[in-house]
Amino acid sequence: MLRKLISREPLTYALLAGFVLGLVALSLAARSYHLPDNHQDYEPEQPIAFSHRLHAGELALDCRYCHFGAATSRHAGIPAASVCMNCHKFVTATMGALRAEERIAKEEKRAPGKVVSPELAKLYRGLGLNEKLEPDPAQTPTGIAWVKIHNLPDYVYFDHRAHVSAGVACQTCHGSVETMERVRQVESLAMGWCVNCHREANRIGVQGKPVQASVDCATCHY
Amino acid sequence: MSGNRPKNYWRSLDEITTAPAISDVAQAIEEAPGRFSRRSFLRAAGFTTALAAAAGCSKAPVEKALPLLTQLENRVAGRAQFYATTCGACEAGCGALVKCRDGRPIKLEGNPEHPLNAGGLCAAGQAALLGLYDSHRFAGPQRAGASITWADADAAIIKDLSALRTAGGGVRLLTATVTSPTLQNAIEQFLSGFSDARHITCNTLSHSAILDAHEATHGARVLPRYRFDKAAVIVSFDADFLGTWISPVEFAAGYRQNRQVEQNPEQFSYHAQFESRLSLTGSRADHRYRVAPDELGLVLETLTARILGQPAAGQGLAVPEAVLEDLAARLTAARGKSLVLCGSQDVAVQQRCNTLNQLLESYGNTIELEAPSYQHQGDDAAVFALLEEMQQGHVASLIIAGVNPVYDLPEGPAFAAALAKTGLVVYCGERPNETSRCAQYVCPDHHFLEAWGDAEAVSGVVALRQPVIRPLFDTRPLLESLNTWSGAPRPAYESIQAYWQQHIYPRSQDGTPFLSFWDRTLHDGWARVSPRPAPAVAYRDTPPPAIPPAGGEELTLVLYPKIGLLDGRHAYNPWLQELPDPISKITWDNYACLSVATAQRLGLAQGDVIRMEAEGVEKPLELPVCLQPAQHDRVIAVALGYGQESTARFTDLGPQWLQSKPSVGEDGLVGKRAASFLAREQGRLRFERGGVKLTRTGKSLELACTQTHHTITVPEHLAPAGGLRRDILQETTLVAFRKDPHAGSHGGHEYRPLYPLDHPKGGHRWGMAIDLSTCTGCSACVVACQAENNIPVVGKDEVRRRREMHWLRIDRYYSGEGDNVDVAYQPMLCQQCENASCENVCPVLATVHTSEGLNAQVYNRCVGTRYCANNCAYKVRRFNWFRYHHDDPVENLVLNPDVTVRSRGIMEKCTFCVQRIQEAKIESKRRKEPVADGAIQPACQQSCPMQAITFGDLNDPESRVSKLMKSPRHYRVLEEIDVRPSVGYLTLVRHRTEEEEVEHHG
Repeated sequence: MLRKLISREPLTYALLAGFVLGLVALSLAARSYHLPDNHQDYEPEQPIAFSHRLHAGELALDCRYCHFGAATSRHAGIPAASVCMNCHKFVTATMGALRAEERIAKEEKRAPGKVVSPELAKLYRGLGLNEKLEPDPAQTPTGIAWVKIHNLPDYVYFDHRAHVSAGVACQTCHGSVETMERVRQVESLAMGWCVNCHREANRIGVQGKPVQASVDCATCHY
Repeated sequence: MSGNRPKNYWRSLDEITTAPAISDVAQAIEEAPGRFSRRSFLRAAGFTTALAAAAGCSKAPVEKALPLLTQLENRVAGRAQFYATTCGACEAGCGALVKCRDGRPIKLEGNPEHPLNAGGLCAAGQAALLGLYDSHRFAGPQRAGASITWADADAAIIKDLSALRTAGGGVRLLTATVTSPTLQNAIEQFLSGFSDARHITCNTLSHSAILDAHEATHGARVLPRYRFDKAAVIVSFDADFLGTWISPVEFAAGYRQNRQVEQNPEQFSYHAQFESRLSLTGSRADHRYRVAPDELGLVLETLTARILGQPAAGQGLAVPEAVLEDLAARLTAARGKSLVLCGSQDVAVQQRCNTLNQLLESYGNTIELEAPSYQHQGDDAAVFALLEEMQQGHVASLIIAGVNPVYDLPEGPAFAAALAKTGLVVYCGERPNETSRCAQYVCPDHHFLEAWGDAEAVSGVVALRQPVIRPLFDTRPLLESLNTWSGAPRPAYESIQAYWQQHIYPRSQDGTPFLSFWDRTLHDGWARVSPRPAPAVAYRDTPPPAIPPAGGEELTLVLYPKIGLLDGRHAYNPWLQELPDPISKITWDNYACLSVATAQRLGLAQGDVIRMEAEGVEKPLELPVCLQPAQHDRVIAVALGYGQESTARFTDLGPQWLQSKPSVGEDGLVGKRAASFLAREQGRLRFERGGVKLTRTGKSLELACTQTHHTITVPEHLAPAGGLRRDILQETTLVAFRKDPHAGSHGGHEYRPLYPLDHPKGGHRWGMAIDLSTCTGCSACVVACQAENNIPVVGKDEVRRRREMHWLRIDRYYSGEGDNVDVAYQPMLCQQCENASCENVCPVLATVHTSEGLNAQVYNRCVGTRYCANNCAYKVRRFNWFRYHHDDPVENLVLNPDVTVRSRGIMEKCTFCVQRIQEAKIESKRRKEPVADGAIQPACQQSCPMQAITFGDLNDPESRVSKLMKSPRHYRVLEEIDVRPSVGYLTLVRHRTEEEEVEHHG
């Protein structure tokens, strides 16, 4: 039996080669496939092409201007459409589009009209507003159904508040969102990744301050 | 008993007879041969695993997040908000705090600052939340069962009513007790437009006799306010004041003041109870005497005579002479601090009770008439007069709000027939019932959590009710309906505010502007104002009617309300249906309680179905027998509130599998309606009926009784040889306790560990202490736990299979012999053992110890081996045998988003409400403050009307729980097996002398 297996027959070589090739193929495939519930690199299209690079990066808005729950609640929260309207009541299109309209209006010798960017038009539609940004009784506000990216399983109770008050930067878990045109999940958000960070924080602290980052199961699972 | 002599505790009658030990039976049941062989199971399991692995590879669904359109002030997603309101589960008017998450109420808690309930909330109040999310509620107004619009309904009703205004004709409004001053005013406004109009108040759990007796003795038909906080000696004649009588949470809050052993052993009140069935209150009395209902008056009369020093008849009394002698001495000594209560519906007996209270100077001290209670205003005679009027066709229009007379009244069918003779019948209520079916128009009312409202349950304490959710259905509050029909439509909010500005605010004495007063009351939920001008009262010595002699050897049927379900108004509520009765521990049914001696005499055993017949009652009542120790031999006790049409919904409740049986009986309903056996005497409802004939049907029924499930007592023959066995319960007498605070204690158990304890001791260490002296077994904690922790309802059949899911159960132990038994309650929940036996056996580390002393259960790790439950000494682990239904999208709104909804095959148990611990810890971290003692209250502690449960940090020597741990009364259950539980109990102290104890159990 043993002799037969190690006999140098061509079939043995072929089988061995096939086995090794199979392993290589599997390991390659594993790079592009994740374990169930791991959505690392998830970068879905959103209903509005909102740019974090523009708002958080270029305009340097504080993350907590929109995600104000992060400091006081379990959820950071997705801002209500009315929060967008704080600015977008006035800012309805890019500067380029406004300038272009002004130029065309000047050429055509008329007053420049209202320019609304197609992306912002979706926001106004979601709020049920007309072109003059006034409530339109004919339209029912539909809201904006954003696609959740950082989505933990239902048996995990993550709390933003604890992390923000301990001084953990948003980027630690969410990556450099301020450079992303469309938000992508950078980290795996798997339990091992969480626990590693908690252990590390217990060892070296967060931003130089000692912290108590519990690694009890009941910290997140109940 | 000084404590060293063990008391014989037992939980069911089977335990003290020669039947096989309960644990043996349990084993036999567990080992019954299944249909699956091991091999076929493994085959199936292998296939399932392969499938699950394949399924795991599929892509997760895309999840959407829909934020608000307009950001609301103070609303942050994921943060709970609390609103003060007034509970509407009964008329007692307890203050409640509603916990709202993301716009929906998810938990009701007692308002700790409310002067009535002082933090407690009963099981029915807690469960009322589920009533909000009841998808069987009316979806909108109806005419003859078909949906119509409010405009159409109003137009038709107004047309009929205006015809009556001009032409005349009887208009009647039938409601339960109205404690809302604004609604009362609106009712008066509404009725004032008619020439012949009347408001009739109907309470099925009637206390009419108390009001009538006060009319006779004091000249005013009022319900007094009982002040248990001022009472040193309490003698109750059949009044279940800790369970279901008038306002149990308020009374418990007062009662607990003088039942604190540690703080003031000298002021420990004395409580004696005379009753026929074993009530919750009777089970906690220091002395309890069995008295047939028809003997109550005689006992009361004899006691009065003893106090007056008169020789009284008292011959042939069930109560020994010496007992009355002693009681008379105690009452006389505590003059002005004594309280005599009577639950009888016989005015003659009630009048005697008033006379005795007058004699003892209770009026003005422990009984307030100047600032009376408005909690029960029902007038039985008026209801009966209404029925007669209707039968004669004198009522042109009847509006029924919130009551169900066709079901509640003994003359139910007659009432239904009379409704057919009445011109316009409008029903205002929340859900369909027997009465709404007979109404032409249904104008559905809001749930109390959806509506503006107010209440003045006792004179001088006004409370507001505020909506905490937008109405789920197309309903309208009664107040607005009446406003509309009066021709002055006005939103409830405006009506209430206007009424308060005009009538309530002038009674407040703090001098702030009205809007400040309003806002503060809205924030606090209540305000104190000067009492309403009360009718003049003065005691008049009126000779009470004679008491009929006791009725020989005949059996008397006693009808009683059950904890939670009350008169049946909460029968739709599955939480309350599955709540075990505190005494009998039976769920999902009513039954005929018989004393053991009577059952033996009649040759009946538990579960035998008997037929009860009485003269003048058309339909006989067939119910299974329940053997009830400590009940009077001449009494059959049956609970009201069952057999209601609304329970037909439970047909498909619970897991549907091959062997499942429905939770309803043969007639499709839960239990049997006993209301037809209520007697009427001079128009007044009586809860006892003599001359009941019993016959055996030969049938038998297995009741869903939890009393022998999860037994933790070790039978003698299974105990380890030479091993120490400690009592599960420790109890002592007040006299012994005063001599030695360690009385009754087994002295603890010193354990010498083989290895040094290596668990870290820093940070927090959570622990709990439960005072057995104050626990009344009222089961508020059980429902609180269910609401907080998303605990499923499993149904009758699954309860029979010992699969109830309650994380917190209340073990009820009897002690003593024959029918002279004592009752002790022991809330049993996960003891969060430091050296937990469950943790060692989990093969997947799904149950582990946390650094804060919690025994954590990680649902997502659990694979359901159930080793942990087998190894748990306290039997507090619960297994999800099925994926319990969560298919009703409306009902699912009640789920607590902070707690995982467990799936099939998962073990679960009490976590000390770890979600609340985490919330408080993180919040204190955010505020950079330490966690204050008392900031974390598990759901069970929060709701306890007696404040018997204390939770806190054992590492903080100043915390209340740490201090209680050092109390001489403190002990741990099953300490000898060295699992080192974090939950401790405090010895039960009864107000007795040692001799009495020996006599009692000698």
